[in-house]
Amino acid sequence: MSALVAANEPGINGVALAVLIFFFVIVAMAGFWAARWRRPTSMESLDEWGLGGRSFGTWITWFLLGGDLYTAYTFVAVPAAMWAFGAVNGFFAVPYTIILYPIIFIFMSRLWSVSHRHGYVTPADFVEGRSGSRVLSLVVALTGFLAIMPYIALQLVGIQAVLEVVGVGGGGNWVAKDLPLFIAFLVLALYTYTSGLRAPAIIAFVKDILIYIVILVAVIYLPSKVGGWGHVFDAAEQKMTTTKNPATGNPNVFIPGPKAYWAYATLALGSAMALFMYPHSITATLSAKSRNTIRKNASILPAYSFLLGLLALLGWVAIAAGTKPIGLDGKVNSQLVIPQLFEDMFPSWFAGVAFAAIAIGALVPAAIMSIAAANTFTRNIYKAWIKPDATPKQEAQVSKITSLVVKAFALLFVLTLDKSNAINFQLLGGIWILQTFPALVFYLYTRWFHRWALLAGWAVGMVYGTVAAYNVTNQATGAPFAGSVANMPVVGQLGYIAVTAFAFNVVVAAVLTLVLRAMKAPEGKDSTVPADYFADAGDPRVEQLAVGPHETTPSA
Amino acid sequence: MSTTPHRHEAPPANKGLLAVASVLLALPIIALLLVGTYAKDEPRLGGFPFFIWYQFLWVAITSVLTYTAYRIVLKARPHVPMTPEGDAYLDGDAATGTGTGTNTATGDDGTEGNVR
Repeated sequence: MSALVAANEPGINGVALAVLIFFFVIVAMAGFWAARWRRPTSMESLDEWGLGGRSFGTWITWFLLGGDLYTAYTFVAVPAAMWAFGAVNGFFAVPYTIILYPIIFIFMSRLWSVSHRHGYVTPADFVEGRSGSRVLSLVVALTGFLAIMPYIALQLVGIQAVLEVVGVGGGGNWVAKDLPLFIAFLVLALYTYTSGLRAPAIIAFVKDILIYIVILVAVIYLPSKVGGWGHVFDAAEQKMTTTKNPATGNPNVFIPGPKAYWAYATLALGSAMALFMYPHSITATLSAKSRNTIRKNASILPAYSFLLGLLALLGWVAIAAGTKPIGLDGKVNSQLVIPQLFEDMFPSWFAGVAFAAIAIGALVPAAIMSIAAANTFTRNIYKAWIKPDATPKQEAQVSKITSLVVKAFALLFVLTLDKSNAINFQLLGGIWILQTFPALVFYLYTRWFHRWALLAGWAVGMVYGTVAAYNVTNQATGAPFAGSVANMPVVGQLGYIAVTAFAFNVVVAAVLTLVLRAMKAPEGKDSTVPADYFADAGDPRVEQLAVGPHETTPSA
Repeated sequence: MSTTPHRHEAPPANKGLLAVASVLLALPIIALLLVGTYAKDEPRLGGFPFFIWYQFLWVAITSVLTYTAYRIVLKARPHVPMTPEGDAYLDGDAATGTGTGTNTATGDDGTEGNVR
């Protein structure tokens, strides 16, 4: 226990910091080198800069998606939630990332195929081609942008947590406090600018390998030091059954009781349905070189879910270890629990490796997310509304610059964000992004839903979800947006707000479709044909026939 | 190829096999959403509560199920290549001629920068 006290004293952990900087430099060099990897004849198109040439095979896609979906923020926030509130807030991530894969198995191949045929880069590209509605496409794009912005910013929370535990970034003045974060993000911005999606694809290898090593060492080594897994779970049960969540007033959870079943299930289901609505997930999927890459990946990506489950349990290991996540400002900050646990229990050099894994784990998704946000802006706002005749070269240039702007904005965002609510902020973005599910996924199968009805359903879901989340007040401070779980109408139990909003969304869309059909409201023009949804690598692009990506196929 | 009938429809599929694949994919979703079936402490396994190890078990089961479903859908609806013009399928025996998984395994798929 004396080590614990020592580690909590302010001061810089020099060895850990040196290891962290070492890995950061390696990764930065790899990021710049990535521009030469699988070098295209020209980087000046979104297919190359924004989708890595649409050329990634099964294993690159596995590393890329793993690096993209299992973010540093997840690595920090999930164990933090386990440590502070227990299984409903934290361990739901495991069923979430299990049922995710059957869900994406079903529809992502169709999205890949139709995007391959029509040169779609973003989900909103597809919605416009399929619905013929520029407005529906715009709201899908804006929702994606809105949801992804806080998500990028949250990646910084992971880096900040690491820097804070190492002892950097708590200085009194503004420069000492935020400068390391600025430098990290500036370097990230520069290599993303030059290398596009190839940079995170390369860095994902380093990140994922480091993460696997760190977590496996941690789950084998740490429990033995604190008295074995049995003791870990007893300590967790002891804490969870005797404490409450001060913000929501709900009891903390060791194993969910009957009142928490709906919350646990809807959090898992809603999050799983939402994840691949995010532009960055779709960017990584579309960069695959063939239709079935994503399906093959659906059976090997669960390896990361296993890892995430182990990581979540480290939150409970920290309870048994008596970890005290106290920030440099002297307050308890649950986000620091994992870095603090590593610093307390590991030799400095290995703690440095673990910190590097988390920090690099933030850089990969931040890069992909900023690329996805930039692609969305370029295709669905700039090209769709401002400059319809933009050339591929201009598109790539606008995207590169937007990726810089997006990161600058994220940096500002994180410096003003209440970090203790980090996971709830992600879940609020999840509420919004899930409302684009009908427009994207239903359209992959059917045009029965009328485009105006889908628009109305989206609006209802967005408003309901935001209001319901606002009404979850923090019982300790009275602040809104204190959680993402609220009473579900009809069911009468607590459930994930996104799922409730989604249900309203679908009902409104279905009812209005019947009304609009009866009124014979005009249908939009569908640019796709059924065969497009089954195309594979080797099948020609519609584009190559000198027809714009949003126009009818010559054969239709 | 120019005599191939003009088609835009989905390639033919074995509906029965697709249904089997759907069931395999639905199993983990249903099992994990029925939280009441596994929200309990006992029996513990190596100190792990049932609630924890049961969900870990489903990680492995799901992986096997999705891989099986993947093999099945490749069989159920083999890829039918399109003509270079992209307005029709290379028809006839092409539907049965493309074996399972060849399209992902060969790598000569004509996309840009595709050097292994």
